[in-house]
This record gives sequence, structure tokens and C-alpha cells, in this order.
Amino acid sequence: MLQLPFSDAGNQRRIVVTGIGVVSACGRTPATFWKSLTHPLTQSSLAAEEQSIPSGAADFSGRIDDFCELPTAIRKSIQKALKLMNRETQMGVAAGQQALLDSGLLQDFDPERIGVCFGAENASVKPEDFLSGVQACSDSNGSFDVERWGEEGIPEVAPLWLLKCLPNMPACHLAILNDLRGPNNTITQRDVAANMAIAEACRAIKDDDADAMLVGATGTTLSAFNLMHARLEDEVFDGTGDAVCRPFDKRRNGSGPGEGAGVVVLEDARAALRRGAHIYGEILGTASTARIGHDGAAACGQALSSAMQQLMTRAGLRPDSLGHIHAHGLGTLKSDIAEARAICQVLGEAVRTVPVVAVRSQLSNAGAGMGALQLIASLLALRNGHLFPVLNFSEPDPECPVEPVTSCDAVAGNSFLNLSMFGRGLASCVAVGTFRE
Amino acid sequence: MRRRVVVTGIGCVTPIGNTITELKSSLYSGRVGVGKLTLFDASHFPVQIAAEVRDWDLSRVGEDPRRWQHCPRQTSFAIGAGLQAARQAGIRESRIDSQRFGVYLGCGEPFEDFRAFTTSIHDSLECCEHESDSFMQHALQLFDPDTEREFEPDMPAIHLGGLLDAQGPILNCISACVSSTQAIGEAARMIRQDEVDVMLCGGAHSTIHPFGVTGFQRLSALSTRNDNPSAAVRPFDADRDGFVIGEGAAAFIIEELEHALRRGADILGELTGYGSAQDAFRVTDSHPEGRGTATAMQRALASARLNPQDIDYINAHGTGTILNDRIETLAIKHAFGQDAFRIPVSSTKSMLGHATTACGAIELAVCLLSLQSGVIPPTVNHERPDPQCDLDYVPRNAREVACRHVMTNNIGFGGQNAALIVSRYDEPARASQRSRLAA
Repeated sequence: MLQLPFSDAGNQRRIVVTGIGVVSACGRTPATFWKSLTHPLTQSSLAAEEQSIPSGAADFSGRIDDFCELPTAIRKSIQKALKLMNRETQMGVAAGQQALLDSGLLQDFDPERIGVCFGAENASVKPEDFLSGVQACSDSNGSFDVERWGEEGIPEVAPLWLLKCLPNMPACHLAILNDLRGPNNTITQRDVAANMAIAEACRAIKDDDADAMLVGATGTTLSAFNLMHARLEDEVFDGTGDAVCRPFDKRRNGSGPGEGAGVVVLEDARAALRRGAHIYGEILGTASTARIGHDGAAACGQALSSAMQQLMTRAGLRPDSLGHIHAHGLGTLKSDIAEARAICQVLGEAVRTVPVVAVRSQLSNAGAGMGALQLIASLLALRNGHLFPVLNFSEPDPECPVEPVTSCDAVAGNSFLNLSMFGRGLASCVAVGTFRE
Repeated sequence: MRRRVVVTGIGCVTPIGNTITELKSSLYSGRVGVGKLTLFDASHFPVQIAAEVRDWDLSRVGEDPRRWQHCPRQTSFAIGAGLQAARQAGIRESRIDSQRFGVYLGCGEPFEDFRAFTTSIHDSLECCEHESDSFMQHALQLFDPDTEREFEPDMPAIHLGGLLDAQGPILNCISACVSSTQAIGEAARMIRQDEVDVMLCGGAHSTIHPFGVTGFQRLSALSTRNDNPSAAVRPFDADRDGFVIGEGAAAFIIEELEHALRRGADILGELTGYGSAQDAFRVTDSHPEGRGTATAMQRALASARLNPQDIDYINAHGTGTILNDRIETLAIKHAFGQDAFRIPVSSTKSMLGHATTACGAIELAVCLLSLQSGVIPPTVNHERPDPQCDLDYVPRNAREVACRHVMTNNIGFGGQNAALIVSRYDEPARASQRSRLAA
């Protein structure tokens, strides 16, 4: 039956999270991820030695066994499709399959009523895909002639290369593998994309265009061009730092490159309740804003405070009722000050009592995937009732008047804000609360 | 009450016109924008033709081109189209609430400097193995940092947000050739759900680049009629052999109806329908029955609360590849039933080439022109009918048709589908009364 995407009947729909999946440097299942966040090191070694960041999701090899437990047919399809997926796509698909399995959504479903919305990096061209072509255009004494590309280079490029590197591929593969025929889109807005994907998916469900949406983000700052672009935007170390990410610490000097993907299943609350699904939390609201001058000058902190204010109003949250904040926590001198001031401005006095976490201290910079990894870490905290530490935070910076969590004892509370910023003057955020009927 | 979304500004930069007036005149006279590819030396490439934007620079919209010299072509097109749309809508003159104004574009991937890229690979080769650290070292010397900063798909939206002081949501999506269609549909949804009042939306792209030709040629998607460029794109024709890479941009100011009426803006049409659907079939090719394509069109109809018989014209995706045109025809028949044979369907890619992520936005501009002028652009080069493509494709010449509701349909790699419907806005008595009040 056709539904009305622009109808106004569904605006009252409540939207809940019923499944989660993750691929990260700290584990490639929600269980290992949570364990790693909450047991980073023994307390003594934590004090003695600062944590440097693993350079990627080393546990994820991209082979079929690294995908979660799958029905045989889907397992076979993924095995066949692996050569069409770059690493970001593989991580996104693996996290997506975990989330679907976790939600139990696909037991009995209408394929027309489930869509996919992803946040993703611009899938830049990978040198290895052009290696054979370049070799074909080089002569025996090693000189390369780009003029030969049209005739000798092109035939050496894999026929499906272009499809492999399109950023919409995680969302497309997940739809194809699981027969999800609803709305399907991919937002390529770097660090702020994940929260924007959550917002877009919520709009589709509210409009009754879908009953459930598979929503996530995947990203990397490890591949050549992503790393170069991230460095140019001061998003990662320039290579001279000590690769220790210290959000809000006085000695912070940035974060290292990383990668990862996180995916959630968002679902109309009534449908979720009807099928007895486990509910991780409810999406209470979303907001995104920009502060970009006519000359391109960015004011990220202002964008963030404005987005947070809108979000608190939309979600009906008061500062003193907020459980915790998941900060963007880029760990650079400027970004953390802007973020902390925005949080302080919006929370007022409550800033002293609302704990702040930043999973970037564990994961480093997973690019567009970061916002989704933050969201999942905080959803797990809501479920477990307690938070996880911001690693390497020991020397507070008076310029960053927030309260980073330093142990696993801090209470997660019943709600949180997930914050993302991008240095060009953009901010996006999502509010999540414990679901109450 | 349901919030309605109307179009109050249009801008475009295309191979057959760098303003909406130029585009209109070219479309109705059947002018083809395909010619010899000149943006790089393609003399040794299997494909040597493209639909290139010509005689364009940002001074045409009052910007100093030197400020934008590091930007890729698509950014220049997007800024041009965006500023044209904003001017027509009178955005800067009206005191609109910046926080309720956003930007949503579907701009594609800008491709890196090909010579620098391949040279970096070559120079980093050691014993026939690619070494990534070494590549990085070479690349950092060969690539220009100021240019690299601009080579991200979200930069056009960010620049336009700054130029127009949009302080609401600013975003870009990529869903292959339906990117800008979905950007417009989702932007309308944001207005409808009362998150914003005004959005600049659309898309821009250029894949006329060694990477673009390499990728599409390897997919066997391109026409190789190098000796006869103007006859190369032949949508729905029996002799079609693929698409021709194009480039360009189109942008729109869309806003909530009451908001537009209050500020006395000219209303160019109403955005009434949007549908997005996935084939969920294969990454490499469309569902053989055009399943998702038909569903996207049906969802657009349902959201507009319209029936198949209400649609007066369909601007098809119509790339001119063997498979696309056949499957799209099937999908139109599935979505429209008997009405499919009545409704004129044309592919303006026959003149514009394929602007990839930007095509949906440009084709929406074409649809709005048809609403206003009562003229449907033709499918040029449609000369010998294909028995499997048996609809009315408006061959060769433009046709006068009074249009009330028109649809544009797009199909993208990965099984992506999206459709939009625009309708004539005519509540003249109410509209003029409101604008008098506003004045």
C-alpha cells in the first residue's frame, strides 16, 4: 500500500532505537566495544601511561568472518559483493548487519516500509585502484607518460571501480542485501553527517514514509586523500604530535587518524512495542545549524550553541535534567574551547553537574563515522547505567569549563545529547532519552 | 494544517544556457550541448565527446572569479545557480530569519588532479608495490593545499551558506544520479515539518575529467559516437548506444507558501510530490522490471495526492543507454497504467548530456519552465523508435501542452530512485490579496 510521505498525520510518531552495530578500533561488536570503553586499562596503568590510539579497526579484516552471524543467503551475498566494497563500505555493511540482527526487525517485515540513511565520507580515489593502469603507462626505464592513459591505462582499471568508490554504496549494499526498498539516501557532510542522517531518517518515519530506518555512518581518515584533507582542515595530527588524544585536557594537541562505523535501527515506537523489540532509547529531537561568514569565516561554537538550544527546546529538555553530553571532543586547542563554551552557555549552572564523555579519546578521528560511534557508545551507557572515561584527561583547562568523566562510576542518566561539529562552521546534534511508554 | 512548499527562485548553469532564459530558449529550439571534449586532452581516449558548460565564470553573478580560483568547476556552477535563484527570490532584500534558512545540495565527488595523482602513484612505486606513506609524501608535494581544501562535495553548500547567511541546516547528499532530486525532496520535507521556512536546494556536478571518463567507460555506459557529437545522445531511439557526460548545476529557493505570500514573492510553482525508493536488486544494474523506479513515481503521486491521469508531462531520466530507457519505460507503464501512453515523456539529456548528481535539479528547472510556458521540450535524436520503448517521447520538436502537474524522474547507480512533482500554483485571488497586504 502506498503511504503519504508528505502527510501530516504522522508528526506525532515517536521514534526509538531497537538495534545497534559497530565496527571500531575498540571492538567490532557492541559487546566488545563497551567492554573496551569501560575497561581501557587497569587504573594503575591508566595513571602511568597515556593511551595512544590504535591506527584503525585492526580487528576488522574485511573478510566474511568479520561480519556478524548471518543467515546463509546474506552471508553468500556479502561474500560475493566484497570485491565491490571499499573498506568504509565493508565497515558500514558489517555494522548495519549487526544492527539489523540485534533489532530482530527482519523476522517478519514489509520491505517497502524500511529505508536506509547513511552519513559517509566523500569516497576519494584510492591509489591502489589505479596502480595497474599507471604501470601500463610506464616504460621499461621507469618513466611514466600520462598521455598514454586513454589507450593503455583505462583498460587496466577494474570495470566496476566507479561503483566501488561511490559514497552511497554502504546504504545501497545494505538495502540490496536485506531487501529494504524504502527511502534511501547518503549525507556527505563529513563530521556532522551522522546526526544529520538520524534527523533525515526521523523525518521519513514521522512522514509515515517508512516504519523503520537503518541509519548509520562510516568513515575514515586513514586513506590517503581523506588523511590529506583531514590534515588540511586541522582535524587530525600533522604527523608531529604524539598521537595521544586528550579532549579538554590542557596539554591537548589534536587527534590521530582513525576509522569506524556505527549503525542503529530507528523504528516507530508503536511498531517496536507491538513486536516486543528491545528499546535502547528514544530519539527526542535533532537540530543542525551553521555560522559561516560571507567570507567563509567559521564560528563553530556559535553554531553549536544555537543547535543545542534548538535541540533542548524541541526535545523538551532542561539543562538540570540532562543525563550526560557526548562531546565532539576533537582534542584541538581551538575546537575544544569553542565546544566547551557552547556547552557552558547552553547548560548554564548545570554545566558543573552534567558529565561529558568523548569517545574520540579511545577511537581517534573516524571522520564521518564518528557521530554514529558516539551515539552508540552513549546508548550503551544508557543501557548499562554508567559512563566510561575520557582517556588521557588529567589536567583541566580553565578555557574548557566542562566536566569530563574520568572513571566508569559516573551515572549515565536518562538522557544525553550527541554533539558533532565541523570546522567550516557547522554543528549537528541529537537528543536521546530512555523510552517510557 | 499541512505546510505547502513553493518555488520562488530558479538558477542554472548548463551546457545549453547559463541562465534560466537561455536554457528555455535552447530547450525549445532543440539545441544540443554535446561537442568535442575540450576540458582535457581526450584525443587518445575511447570517448572524446562531452556536454560542457561554455562561456561561464562567476563574474556573471557579480562574484570576483579570483576568490574562487581554487574551486572545482562544480562549485563555480553551484554558486552561480544558487546566487541566480536567491536573486530571483529576493532573498537578500527580504528580511528572512537566517536561522530558519538552510541549504541542501546534491553535489557530487570532485575529482583530483589526474596528472598529479597518477604521477604520485608512479613516483611512490617501489618494486612494483604501492607504498601508501611514500604516495602521501609525493602527493603532498604535487597537490596544491588551497585546491585540495575545496575538493570535497560539501564545499558548494558551505560556500552558499556563507554567501547567503543561511544559519539553518547546511548539507549535501550523494545518492548517485538521484542526489539533487533527493536533496530537493528532503529540503521540502524539512520545510513541511516546520524545521525551516526557506531552503536553497539543488545540485551541481562535473565528471568531465579523466577519472569520470575512465569510470563510466569501464561500465560501458558511454556513447562512442565521437564523429557525430550532436547525434550521440539518443534516448529511447533504437540506435542509442549510451550517455554523454555532461556537467552543470541548478538551484532553487523553496519556501513555505505563507512565508512566500507574506513577503510578496513571485511563486513559480508548488513542490507537491516527492518519492524515494530502492530497487534492492543489484549494485550494478536496475531491477529488470524497474521496481524501485515505479515505486518512487507512485510515492511521488501519493504524496502529492494526485492520480496518474493528473500528470501532464514526465521529464524522464532517459540517459540513452540500452537498458535504462527500456526499464524506465516499463516503470512508467507500471506506475501510470494506461495513462502512460497518453502522457508526453521526454528526455532533455538528449540536449544537456548527463550532469550525473546534478541532473535531477536541472530537470526540475526544465519542468518548472514547462509549467510556466505551456511548452514541453523534445527528445532530440529520437528518430527510429525502439519497439520496447513505446511511449510518446515528444520526438524532435517542442510541443505546446498546458501543464498543471509535471513529474521528473531519476535513476541512479546502486538501485537509487527518486521522483518529484511540481504543480502550477494558482490561487491568484488569494495570492494577490496577500501580496497587497504584505505591501
